[in-house]
Amino acid sequence: MALRAAVLRHIRLPVQTLPAAGSRPQSQLSFLRLFSSHDDHLTKEEVIDRVLDVVKSFPKVDPSQVTPDVHFQNDLGLDSLDNVEIVMALEEEFKLEIPDKEADKIDSCNLAIEYIYNHPLAG
Amino acid sequence: MSGATTAAYLARRAAQKERVRILYRRALKDKLNWAVHRHLFYQDASDLREKFEANKHVEDLDTIDKMIAAGEATYDKWRHPDPYIVPWAPGGSKFTRNPVPPSGIEIVYDYGREEND
Repeated sequence: MALRAAVLRHIRLPVQTLPAAGSRPQSQLSFLRLFSSHDDHLTKEEVIDRVLDVVKSFPKVDPSQVTPDVHFQNDLGLDSLDNVEIVMALEEEFKLEIPDKEADKIDSCNLAIEYIYNHPLAG
Repeated sequence: MSGATTAAYLARRAAQKERVRILYRRALKDKLNWAVHRHLFYQDASDLREKFEANKHVEDLDTIDKMIAAGEATYDKWRHPDPYIVPWAPGGSKFTRNPVPPSGIEIVYDYGREEND
Protein backbone atom coordinates (compact mmCIF):
# COMPACT_ATOMS: atom_id res chain seq x y z
CA MET A 1 0.00 0.00 0.00
CA ALA A 2 2.75 2.39 0.89
CA LEU A 3 4.69 1.18 -2.15
CA ARG A 4 1.71 1.92 -4.31
CA ALA A 5 1.38 5.41 -2.90
CA ALA A 6 5.10 6.00 -3.39
CA VAL A 7 4.94 4.86 -7.02
CA LEU A 8 1.91 7.04 -7.67
CA ARG A 9 3.57 10.03 -6.09
CA HIS A 10 6.52 9.51 -8.36
CA ILE A 11 4.47 9.21 -11.51
CA ARG A 12 1.92 11.88 -10.78
CA LEU A 13 2.51 15.02 -12.75
CA PRO A 14 2.69 18.29 -10.87
CA VAL A 15 -0.50 20.32 -11.10
CA GLN A 16 -0.08 23.64 -12.84
CA THR A 17 -2.18 26.45 -11.50
CA LEU A 18 -4.37 27.90 -14.21
CA PRO A 19 -4.06 31.59 -14.92
CA ALA A 20 -6.48 33.73 -12.99
CA ALA A 21 -9.94 33.67 -14.47
CA GLY A 22 -10.61 36.65 -16.71
CA SER A 23 -6.96 37.41 -17.35
CA ARG A 24 -7.14 36.85 -21.11
CA PRO A 25 -10.78 36.94 -22.07
CA GLN A 26 -10.19 38.17 -25.59
CA SER A 27 -7.94 35.33 -26.72
CA GLN A 28 -10.31 32.77 -25.24
CA LEU A 29 -13.19 34.32 -27.10
CA SER A 30 -11.28 34.15 -30.35
CA PHE A 31 -11.40 30.36 -30.21
CA LEU A 32 -15.12 30.26 -29.60
CA ARG A 33 -17.24 29.40 -32.57
CA LEU A 34 -20.19 31.73 -32.52
CA PHE A 35 -23.13 29.84 -33.91
CA SER A 36 -25.67 32.60 -33.88
CA SER A 37 -25.83 34.76 -36.94
CA HIS A 38 -26.26 37.87 -34.85
CA ASP A 39 -23.15 37.74 -32.65
CA ASP A 40 -20.26 38.11 -35.03
CA HIS A 41 -20.29 41.82 -35.65
CA LEU A 42 -17.36 43.27 -37.50
CA THR A 43 -14.77 45.24 -35.60
CA LYS A 44 -14.28 48.85 -36.52
CA GLU A 45 -10.75 48.31 -37.82
CA GLU A 46 -11.93 45.56 -40.10
CA VAL A 47 -14.70 47.76 -41.46
CA ILE A 48 -12.30 50.65 -42.04
CA ASP A 49 -9.76 48.39 -43.76
CA ARG A 50 -12.25 46.85 -46.10
CA VAL A 51 -13.94 50.13 -46.95
CA LEU A 52 -10.60 51.74 -47.75
CA ASP A 53 -9.60 48.76 -49.90
CA VAL A 54 -12.79 49.07 -51.91
CA VAL A 55 -12.33 52.80 -52.40
CA LYS A 56 -8.67 52.43 -53.34
CA SER A 57 -9.40 49.81 -55.97
CA PHE A 58 -11.79 52.16 -57.76
CA PRO A 59 -10.12 53.04 -61.07
CA LYS A 60 -10.81 56.77 -60.93
CA VAL A 61 -9.37 57.20 -57.45
CA ASP A 62 -5.80 58.00 -56.49
CA PRO A 63 -5.01 55.43 -53.75
CA SER A 64 -2.54 57.63 -51.89
CA GLN A 65 -5.21 60.20 -51.11
CA VAL A 66 -7.66 57.84 -49.50
CA THR A 67 -8.05 58.26 -45.75
CA PRO A 68 -10.94 57.32 -43.47
CA ASP A 69 -12.12 60.93 -43.55
CA VAL A 70 -12.12 61.58 -47.23
CA HIS A 71 -15.21 62.95 -49.00
CA PHE A 72 -15.83 61.31 -52.34
CA GLN A 73 -16.86 64.36 -54.29
CA ASN A 74 -14.99 67.14 -52.56
CA ASP A 75 -11.65 65.49 -51.80
CA LEU A 76 -11.33 62.77 -54.40
CA GLY A 77 -12.88 64.76 -57.22
CA LEU A 78 -15.44 62.14 -58.12
CA ASP A 79 -18.78 62.52 -59.81
CA SER A 80 -22.17 61.85 -58.23
CA LEU A 81 -22.51 58.81 -60.49
CA ASP A 82 -19.10 57.63 -59.26
CA ASN A 83 -20.49 58.00 -55.76
CA VAL A 84 -23.34 55.67 -56.70
CA GLU A 85 -20.84 53.17 -58.08
CA ILE A 86 -18.75 53.23 -54.93
CA VAL A 87 -21.81 52.65 -52.75
CA MET A 88 -22.76 49.71 -54.94
CA ALA A 89 -19.25 48.29 -54.61
CA LEU A 90 -19.52 48.62 -50.82
CA GLU A 91 -22.87 46.83 -50.92
CA GLU A 92 -21.27 43.98 -52.81
CA GLU A 93 -18.29 43.81 -50.48
CA PHE A 94 -20.33 43.64 -47.27
CA LYS A 95 -23.29 41.73 -48.70
CA LEU A 96 -25.66 44.49 -47.65
CA GLU A 97 -28.82 45.81 -49.14
CA ILE A 98 -28.95 49.56 -48.58
CA PRO A 99 -32.29 51.30 -49.36
CA ASP A 100 -32.11 53.87 -52.13
CA LYS A 101 -32.73 56.86 -49.90
CA GLU A 102 -30.00 55.85 -47.49
CA ALA A 103 -27.56 55.06 -50.26
CA ASP A 104 -28.05 58.50 -51.71
CA LYS A 105 -26.86 60.10 -48.48
CA ILE A 106 -23.59 58.20 -48.24
CA ASP A 107 -21.16 60.82 -49.46
CA SER A 108 -17.89 60.21 -47.67
CA CYS A 109 -15.82 57.43 -46.17
CA ASN A 110 -16.91 58.53 -42.70
CA LEU A 111 -20.57 58.03 -43.42
CA ALA A 112 -19.92 54.72 -45.15
CA ILE A 113 -17.92 53.35 -42.21
CA GLU A 114 -20.53 54.55 -39.71
CA TYR A 115 -23.38 53.02 -41.66
CA ILE A 116 -21.69 49.68 -42.19
CA TYR A 117 -20.44 49.44 -38.62
CA ASN A 118 -23.90 50.13 -37.23
CA HIS A 119 -25.61 47.72 -39.58
CA PRO A 120 -26.44 44.51 -37.69
CA LEU A 121 -26.10 42.22 -40.68
CA ALA A 122 -22.92 43.54 -42.27
CA GLY A 123 -20.90 40.61 -43.62
CA MET B 1 -34.86 82.59 -68.60
CA SER B 2 -36.15 80.85 -65.51
CA GLY B 3 -33.93 82.77 -63.06
CA ALA B 4 -30.58 81.08 -63.10
CA THR B 5 -30.09 80.74 -59.37
CA THR B 6 -33.48 81.14 -57.73
CA ALA B 7 -34.31 78.80 -54.93
CA ALA B 8 -37.10 77.08 -56.86
CA TYR B 9 -34.79 76.42 -59.80
CA LEU B 10 -32.11 75.01 -57.55
CA ALA B 11 -34.62 72.91 -55.66
CA ARG B 12 -35.95 71.48 -58.89
CA ARG B 13 -32.45 70.77 -60.17
CA ALA B 14 -31.54 69.06 -56.89
CA ALA B 15 -34.66 66.89 -57.08
CA GLN B 16 -33.79 65.97 -60.65
CA LYS B 17 -30.25 65.10 -59.68
CA GLU B 18 -31.53 62.83 -56.96
CA ARG B 19 -33.87 61.12 -59.41
CA VAL B 20 -30.98 60.63 -61.80
CA ARG B 21 -28.80 59.12 -59.10
CA ILE B 22 -31.50 56.71 -57.97
CA LEU B 23 -32.24 55.77 -61.57
CA TYR B 24 -28.55 55.12 -62.23
CA ARG B 25 -28.33 52.98 -59.10
CA ARG B 26 -31.33 50.88 -60.04
CA ALA B 27 -30.25 50.50 -63.64
CA LEU B 28 -26.78 49.41 -62.54
CA LYS B 29 -28.22 46.79 -60.19
CA ASP B 30 -30.43 45.60 -62.98
CA LYS B 31 -27.43 45.19 -65.27
CA LEU B 32 -25.80 43.15 -62.53
CA ASN B 33 -28.86 40.94 -62.37
CA TRP B 34 -28.98 40.36 -66.09
CA ALA B 35 -25.27 39.79 -66.72
CA VAL B 36 -24.47 36.20 -65.81
CA HIS B 37 -20.71 36.59 -66.24
CA ARG B 38 -18.86 39.39 -64.60
CA HIS B 39 -17.06 40.64 -67.70
CA LEU B 40 -20.44 41.19 -69.37
CA PHE B 41 -21.50 43.29 -66.41
CA TYR B 42 -18.46 45.51 -66.76
CA GLN B 43 -19.23 46.07 -70.42
CA ASP B 44 -22.89 46.87 -69.68
CA ALA B 45 -21.93 49.20 -66.86
CA SER B 46 -19.59 51.13 -69.16
CA ASP B 47 -22.31 51.48 -71.77
CA LEU B 48 -24.80 52.68 -69.17
CA ARG B 49 -22.32 55.24 -67.90
CA GLU B 50 -21.73 56.50 -71.44
CA LYS B 51 -25.46 57.01 -71.90
CA PHE B 52 -25.69 59.03 -68.72
CA GLU B 53 -22.58 61.06 -69.51
CA ALA B 54 -23.83 61.96 -72.98
CA ASN B 55 -26.72 63.94 -71.52
CA LYS B 56 -24.77 65.50 -68.68
CA HIS B 57 -24.64 69.02 -70.06
CA VAL B 58 -28.36 69.55 -70.65
CA GLU B 59 -29.61 72.65 -68.83
CA ASP B 60 -33.27 72.98 -69.70
CA LEU B 61 -35.45 71.71 -66.86
CA ASP B 62 -38.28 70.34 -69.00
CA THR B 63 -35.94 68.44 -71.29
CA ILE B 64 -34.26 66.95 -68.26
CA ASP B 65 -37.63 65.89 -66.87
CA LYS B 66 -38.57 64.25 -70.12
CA MET B 67 -35.24 62.44 -70.30
CA ILE B 68 -35.58 61.17 -66.75
CA ALA B 69 -39.08 59.91 -67.48
CA ALA B 70 -37.84 58.16 -70.61
CA GLY B 71 -34.99 56.61 -68.65
CA GLU B 72 -37.34 55.35 -65.97
CA ALA B 73 -39.61 53.87 -68.62
CA THR B 74 -36.65 52.04 -70.17
CA TYR B 75 -35.63 50.78 -66.75
CA ASP B 76 -39.15 49.49 -66.08
CA LYS B 77 -39.17 47.75 -69.41
CA TRP B 78 -35.87 45.96 -68.78
CA ARG B 79 -36.31 44.96 -65.15
CA HIS B 80 -35.17 41.44 -64.36
CA PRO B 81 -38.05 39.11 -63.36
CA ASP B 82 -36.02 37.39 -60.64
CA PRO B 83 -33.53 39.86 -59.25
CA TYR B 84 -30.87 38.90 -56.75
CA ILE B 85 -31.87 40.21 -53.34
CA VAL B 86 -29.70 39.76 -50.28
CA PRO B 87 -31.37 36.96 -48.23
CA TRP B 88 -32.26 38.98 -45.15
CA ALA B 89 -33.62 41.95 -47.10
CA PRO B 90 -37.33 42.31 -47.96
CA GLY B 91 -37.99 39.97 -50.85
CA GLY B 92 -35.07 37.71 -50.00
CA SER B 93 -35.34 34.11 -48.90
CA LYS B 94 -34.40 34.61 -45.26
CA PHE B 95 -36.60 37.62 -44.65
CA THR B 96 -38.61 37.16 -41.41
CA ARG B 97 -37.54 33.54 -41.34
CA ASN B 98 -36.58 33.47 -37.66
CA PRO B 99 -38.15 36.48 -36.06
CA VAL B 100 -37.16 37.42 -32.55
CA PRO B 101 -39.64 35.73 -30.17
CA PRO B 102 -41.83 38.16 -28.25
CA SER B 103 -40.41 39.18 -24.92
CA GLY B 104 -41.78 37.51 -21.82
CA ILE B 105 -41.88 34.08 -23.37
CA GLU B 106 -39.62 31.60 -21.66
CA ILE B 107 -38.95 27.93 -22.26
CA VAL B 108 -39.00 25.83 -19.08
CA TYR B 109 -36.57 22.93 -19.37
CA ASP B 110 -38.12 20.39 -17.09
CA TYR B 111 -37.92 17.51 -19.60
CA GLY B 112 -41.37 16.25 -18.77
CA ARG B 113 -40.74 15.89 -15.06
CA GLU B 114 -44.00 15.78 -13.19
CA GLU B 115 -44.64 17.12 -9.73
CA ASN B 116 -45.18 13.76 -8.02
CA ASP B 117 -41.69 12.44 -8.94
